[in-house]
Amino acid sequence: MLCQECGERQAEVVLTTVINGESTTRHLCRECVKKYKAGDLQSILAAVLSAMAEKKQTPDLTCPRCGETYQEFQKTGMLGCAECYSAFRKELTPLITRVQGRAQHAGRRPPVSEEEQARQSQIETLRFQMEAAVAEENFEEAARLRDALRALTPAKEEKA
Amino acid sequence: MNSIVVSSRVRLARNYEDLPFRGKITPEQCDECVNRTLDALRDLPDAYTYLPMEGMEENEKKALMESHLISPDLLKNEEGAAVLVRGDEKIAVMMNEEDHLRIQAFCPGDNLPEAARNAFAIEDALQSKLSFAFDSQLGYLTACPTNTGTGMRASVMLHLPMLTLFKQMGKVGQLAAKVGLTIRGIYGEGSEAQGNLYQLSNQVTLGRTEEELTQAVAATARQMAEMESVFRQRAWEKDKVGFEDQVYRSFGLLTNARRMTVKEFMVHWSSLRLGAAMEMLPVSWETCDHLLTAAQPAHVLKAAGAALEEKEADAFRTQIVRRAIQGGN
Repeated sequence: MLCQECGERQAEVVLTTVINGESTTRHLCRECVKKYKAGDLQSILAAVLSAMAEKKQTPDLTCPRCGETYQEFQKTGMLGCAECYSAFRKELTPLITRVQGRAQHAGRRPPVSEEEQARQSQIETLRFQMEAAVAEENFEEAARLRDALRALTPAKEEKA
Repeated sequence: MNSIVVSSRVRLARNYEDLPFRGKITPEQCDECVNRTLDALRDLPDAYTYLPMEGMEENEKKALMESHLISPDLLKNEEGAAVLVRGDEKIAVMMNEEDHLRIQAFCPGDNLPEAARNAFAIEDALQSKLSFAFDSQLGYLTACPTNTGTGMRASVMLHLPMLTLFKQMGKVGQLAAKVGLTIRGIYGEGSEAQGNLYQLSNQVTLGRTEEELTQAVAATARQMAEMESVFRQRAWEKDKVGFEDQVYRSFGLLTNARRMTVKEFMVHWSSLRLGAAMEMLPVSWETCDHLLTAAQPAHVLKAAGAALEEKEADAFRTQIVRRAIQGGN
């Protein structure tokens, strides 16, 4: 039997990992088993993904932006684009929590540009005005404000 | 400390928001990744060299790898793969690796904070003009979901000959695992042939701040250095002559041999570094660390400036070694 990790060398070791009570058995060569022993997260993820694929736990999902399917991700452990994280979020979050232990970023964040700051404060103002217009039952004005708001908000953000 | 911690390195994985990741990117988008990166970094104060992998000589690529400026992964995809290297080789920005960017900063000795500052300075320069893929929950988004969050790997290279000799590396590994770190050998197979060099780095990248990660690595590295010191002392007290014999034999071979394979070199290099760190030899550990890279196969060929047969290269290696030890650089 060939190693399930590299697919090149002969598998000599059977490695069973238990993560959150779910056991995964993999046949590996001596080289690849070292990676697992070293706790290489990428290898651990690969093990979890291939165990899911074997059990036919493959959700039918496709990233709308790059066309990557969940099945492809299960095979390669690689995502196609930033949007895949949104498309597969429900499946990815528990996986990431499993390998990382935590699921909330605590580090550095990108700076917010002046342009973005201006846009955000304009959105807030428009929302406030729109709510006031609705309260005053001035629906014509509210509709105008809603359209102005839409023009400032990308489709994705609006849904959220 | 610097007698045991050889060097510090910080690596940041970053991707542009609007470009697909490695698996889905087109050649045109690879070029775009390179162009916008170079453009955004044009105004950096220091001199940088741009090195595309396409068309580069094999030996040159290997030499960059020996210097840790590029990774083996960068060579997997020649399309658009490139590196931007600062003149002093302390900063390297890989483009079109597994992620669009791998920003790396290196420092000699135990100095992760400075390596981190240098890496963040590059990130800041890029982020002032460009947007990286970022999610408020998962942090910086990466092609492989095991790197999300900080996208940071902080690592130190440790020289642990006595912990290796006294078979303590298993324990050392457990100590690292307990605090979420990993330690592995570098430079090929077998701990002796590796020069008893190990790399300690963080495993998890999400849910901790960059400072927490670098501090965890630095603190554990110091703990390991302390353990190594204890075993050096113990070995010295137990058999001073044996200790000296090993160091001076290696010194003798390195300064007199006329042909040496890299494997043999690494074995003696380890004793040389140990002797230098314990101030037993007229060699500084800086010289040792310079030699570590200079005597690797691709660097030897590069210094020779010609294609050499294996035996000729092994002979030329000894010239490089003698020159460095005697010249003191």
